[in-house]
Amino acid sequence: MAVSLSVKEALRVVEVLETIVSSCVGPEGRQVLCTKPTGEVMLSRDGGRLLGSLHLEHPTARMMVSCVSSHLRRAGDGAKTYIIYLCHLLRELHAATDKVMGSLGQAHGKHWKKCCQWKLIARACLSFQTQVLDCVVDQHLKKHFLSVFSSPKERTLCRSSLESLFEAYLRGRVGRNHHGFISQLISDYLFKCMAHERGFEEVFELVDDCFLELSIGVTGLPVTESKVVAGLVLHRDFSVYYPVEGDMRLVVVNEAIHPLFSSSESEFIVTSEIQFQTSQFWIMEKTRTIMSHLRSQNVHLLLSRVKQSDMVVYYAGLNGISVVECLSSEELSLIQRITGVCPFVPPQEPSQFGISNTALVKFCTPLILRSKRYIHLGLVSNCAFIPHCVILCGPVQGMVEQHKDTFHGAFKILQQLFKDHHLNYMAQANDQNCLPSHLMCKNSRESHQEPEFVHDSLRRPYQETVVENKEKLRKPQTCIKTHSNPVGPNIECEAYSPGSTAKEILTDVCQIDGRLRGLSPNKTRMMDNPKPWTESHSPAIAAMETSAMEISYENSQVTKDAGNGTVSSARLKPVETPLAPSNDCLPCIPAGSVLPVGGYFEILLHYYLLNCAQKGRQSEETRVLSKIIAKALLSIPRILCKYKKGKHSFPQMYMRTAHTLQAGQPMSSSSTGLESVASKYQLLASVLQCLTTILTIDLVIPVKRQPREVCDPDSEDEL
Amino acid sequence: MSRLEAKKPSLCESEPLTSERVRATLSVLKGIITSCYGPSGRLKQLHNGLGGYVCTTSQSSALLAHLSVTHPILKILTTAMQNHVSCFSDCGLFTAILCCNLIENVLRIGLPPTTVIKLNKHLLSLSTNYLKSEFCGCRIPVNFSNTEMLLCLVRSILTSKPACMLTHKEVDHVSALILKSFLLTIPENVQDRVILGKSIIVPLKGQRVIDSTVLPGILIEISDVQLMKMLPTKNSDSLKVALFCASLSGDLTGTGEGSMVVTYGVSLENAALDQLLNLGNQLVNDHVDLVMCQKVVHPSLKQFLSTHHVIVIDRLGAALMEPLSKVTGTQPIGSLDSVSPSSYGSVKDLSSARFGSKHFLHLITYESTICSFLLCNRNETTWDELKLTCQTALHVLQLTIKEPWVLLGGGCTETHLAAYIRHKACREPESILKDGYSQTELQLVVGAYCSALESLAGSLEHDGGDILTDMKYGHFWLAQTNSPPSINWQDLLSRCGCGLYSSQEELKWSFLKSTQHSFVPQTCLPQETVISANKLILDCYTAKLSGLQMAVETANMILDLSYIIEDQN
Repeated sequence: MAVSLSVKEALRVVEVLETIVSSCVGPEGRQVLCTKPTGEVMLSRDGGRLLGSLHLEHPTARMMVSCVSSHLRRAGDGAKTYIIYLCHLLRELHAATDKVMGSLGQAHGKHWKKCCQWKLIARACLSFQTQVLDCVVDQHLKKHFLSVFSSPKERTLCRSSLESLFEAYLRGRVGRNHHGFISQLISDYLFKCMAHERGFEEVFELVDDCFLELSIGVTGLPVTESKVVAGLVLHRDFSVYYPVEGDMRLVVVNEAIHPLFSSSESEFIVTSEIQFQTSQFWIMEKTRTIMSHLRSQNVHLLLSRVKQSDMVVYYAGLNGISVVECLSSEELSLIQRITGVCPFVPPQEPSQFGISNTALVKFCTPLILRSKRYIHLGLVSNCAFIPHCVILCGPVQGMVEQHKDTFHGAFKILQQLFKDHHLNYMAQANDQNCLPSHLMCKNSRESHQEPEFVHDSLRRPYQETVVENKEKLRKPQTCIKTHSNPVGPNIECEAYSPGSTAKEILTDVCQIDGRLRGLSPNKTRMMDNPKPWTESHSPAIAAMETSAMEISYENSQVTKDAGNGTVSSARLKPVETPLAPSNDCLPCIPAGSVLPVGGYFEILLHYYLLNCAQKGRQSEETRVLSKIIAKALLSIPRILCKYKKGKHSFPQMYMRTAHTLQAGQPMSSSSTGLESVASKYQLLASVLQCLTTILTIDLVIPVKRQPREVCDPDSEDEL
Repeated sequence: MSRLEAKKPSLCESEPLTSERVRATLSVLKGIITSCYGPSGRLKQLHNGLGGYVCTTSQSSALLAHLSVTHPILKILTTAMQNHVSCFSDCGLFTAILCCNLIENVLRIGLPPTTVIKLNKHLLSLSTNYLKSEFCGCRIPVNFSNTEMLLCLVRSILTSKPACMLTHKEVDHVSALILKSFLLTIPENVQDRVILGKSIIVPLKGQRVIDSTVLPGILIEISDVQLMKMLPTKNSDSLKVALFCASLSGDLTGTGEGSMVVTYGVSLENAALDQLLNLGNQLVNDHVDLVMCQKVVHPSLKQFLSTHHVIVIDRLGAALMEPLSKVTGTQPIGSLDSVSPSSYGSVKDLSSARFGSKHFLHLITYESTICSFLLCNRNETTWDELKLTCQTALHVLQLTIKEPWVLLGGGCTETHLAAYIRHKACREPESILKDGYSQTELQLVVGAYCSALESLAGSLEHDGGDILTDMKYGHFWLAQTNSPPSINWQDLLSRCGCGLYSSQEELKWSFLKSTQHSFVPQTCLPQETVISANKLILDCYTAKLSGLQMAVETANMILDLSYIIEDQN
């Protein structure tokens, strides 16, 4: 029977999921135990795994889970936050419509009635990203970004900021007592594996691809016994082992070395006993020659994908060659990737066998971990990756697996972090017949009005103080109102005035830029170059950059005036000088951008979204949607601060942040962790897409069979 | 048609530890393992109700392996303990009881798990740092110049396994044998890296325990018919040995994926047999005296070789191959044509031996790190238990060589540690409290942690005796049942749990359960006390330290659970 899918129903479903998921979110989150039908027991705080193991039946829930998992495939993290956002968005939407239904009688109502149609809201959701979100991120949020690179031009990684990134990630993923240790382990591993500071993308990709082969789980030992070992550890034992001192070489084989009587689809005809014996002898002689030839090339290790015959092992042993059989093809391909060695094909003539098929090995020893034998290889790397393995210990398999997954996930996140994410609101601006330079100028002119706006929002609370006590701290507006001891507007104006002069210069630069665009189209193309750190090639742009530097200089004056240096900003270099114009490239979230963890992204975005919504140059429904999204965003910091008291409680933290933002001061943060901005941004974007899908579906029709795929035209021939 | 079925939705249980059912099952498990602990522990009989194998045991490895638990929390607990046991062999019950005690105590104090978990971690690092430190009052360095301490260690392990059913005399005999067989596995001339040999346990069930013995070299069981055929060998200094890993049965292998066409009248078996006899000829020409084969040897080849006074032993199995190739110095031969002379090895002498109803061929070798441990016990059940115990003891000795310390046994380490932690957390709480915990929270968690350790020591006693601790060393003292009230403790008690201190010293005692005020247990064990004491009860340092960490980590893990999602498929 077809069931109509209402927002109410979807909300009910997602609320259930939220209660489960929110118990494991953030540093105070707890673990969930999942049992598998095979009897395995898994520990997990990974949202994706939890949702997957629930095996939900409800169609809406299943749709949500599939949305989450498609997001996870791209970003690797954020499943729990996804569900929480979605839940709060739906809740706010639901509440908003309820309110509207109640006020239908008013004159305003007619317009509202239209807006309430889900379809319209869904459309607004879709356009929200391009019209509002990207714009806000690029123009307002960007100045708060920090970078994990210690010097942005050369893209060298800053170890301490990467550590705090891992720490923040692990706080949400592993057991309470282990995040510090494991994050130390991850950054140790990462920096040991990198041959040099640059070229880390290759390392991340390789570790991500081959993590299963690069990690060993050991149960029954305390977690603190986990370690990083140099070299590669193979999950096999030697068939025959000869210890060799000093350097040696290895070969990789994919097939049986000794020749067989017949290969597939061929026949071996035996005509006499003598002939049979001779061919057996020939096979043996051949094997012996190959082995002694290998030895003459200083090969002392043979890695084979298949099981070799006793004869091969015997002759290898006679020649002092250690043999490892039955290696997985993944292990062998990893070895080939690291060393660049090609698989050895037994030659027809020994002279054809060249040295190019061998790889250098520093050492090769058996390794015993918890009475299980492994092989420890000291490979010499040919690429940016210096082989290292990580041994993860834990009391039970479930915990080891959790740590493995987390470790692997960290590399997924790093890969995501070092990609540039383009924002495409420019294109949208063009659609609206608005030249980019105009838009920029307009925006900057609008930002002149910002101080006034701040006054406005500050003044309003005084008018509404009576209401304040009755309403809980639910609404973000009221949070500003509870600002019991606001700094006088005068001080704020002072703090702003240098800023606004800076913005005037900015406007000038924009205009210069606009003129430049008009004059030389080829230069425009250069400026549109998506590379984030374009070197200046023309004097005009160089001049522009100097002016930008002036701006930044002045801005740093502003910060100095504000006198609120923080730990994180002192330690990390901002992505850009806070007010530098971003129009020398396409708008994007630059690679390696991070923000302090603990809900700062959400609060910032919330603040700027509300600002934009109140400026009123958006359509009515976008404005309402902005407000709804801004409200839903606060759910994350609220959950994160749930157990905190006093200074760190949510209302206090929110007020503090909002206040520093209004004063134009740099953000101060008490938390030491960092999180990637791009992944947060992506998360929000995919939640909005999921919301759109939920809103646009009106009926759920159960069918007995799987929905058929669209029929091929060829299938008609069969009829 | 595909047989895809929709998956059943999972069962989701929130806050599992608050449920009465889970608490009840946890306490049942705790009851089972606690009653097995220590020398006077009660035995458990495990059987499946359908006849067949019955296991009588009090060892954690056997008990946990046979026990089938259903609740995920119990499953994760028992798996953690089994993993510990497979790493260290010893201290399985210790770990399991401590873990259960911790969980139970923490649930009782009712603090939020997040706080408890973090504080537990602090207390654990306090404990491990103390046990690793120089001034630790319950750790003794092992004296390798004297076997006394190692013997004490082995004897403590044997006495703590009552299901072996050994008398005092037997315990002494077996522990001496265990130590002997361990010492035989240590190579004489040691390079930078010691590689221990192996002692192979040979089963002899139905014999008296006193008949157990240790022989250097390898024992191979053979039938008496084979033994009859065995001719007295040449009187030479050594015997030349060839060891085959390839089958000598004359079967054709490795013909490839394609087909083989054999012309009528051509017999491949004949060709193969010819090849085998050629090989036999080569062996005889090379003056090989003993041929051993992992797999089967063709009867004709056997016949041929024995007419040339070559002893043939086949069907050795894969397990014996590695030690055999090691002691004889041979390289397992995988080729049937032209054996390289370098792959032959040698043995010093060969003799036949008879133990009980079994006949053995005894290879006496030049390389002497491998020995055979003939282990006897009255029946199958007790033999299994004894074998496990011997393996545990051998493993513990290996661990002790790596980390040459032992801990005081008999409950003294636990009570001493508890007293130390109580004192430390009471007097110097600053290092822990800086993370923002209140003094009360700390006191509660310290109470839970220490009473878990103390009641662990208390579970050594199963007959209702009184458990005391002294206020100087913090050791464990046991008083007999039904002791009259208001007596002089000094006369009633004789020695503490580990046997280090005598009651004749000027000591003050108090009941373990009622110890509330903290005192400073004496740290820095003086060397003289240890030397003067004999027949100490000792525990493996490595296993116990790791067991402590494992117990606290597992308890933390279980306390941290907020949901259980059970897959119903």
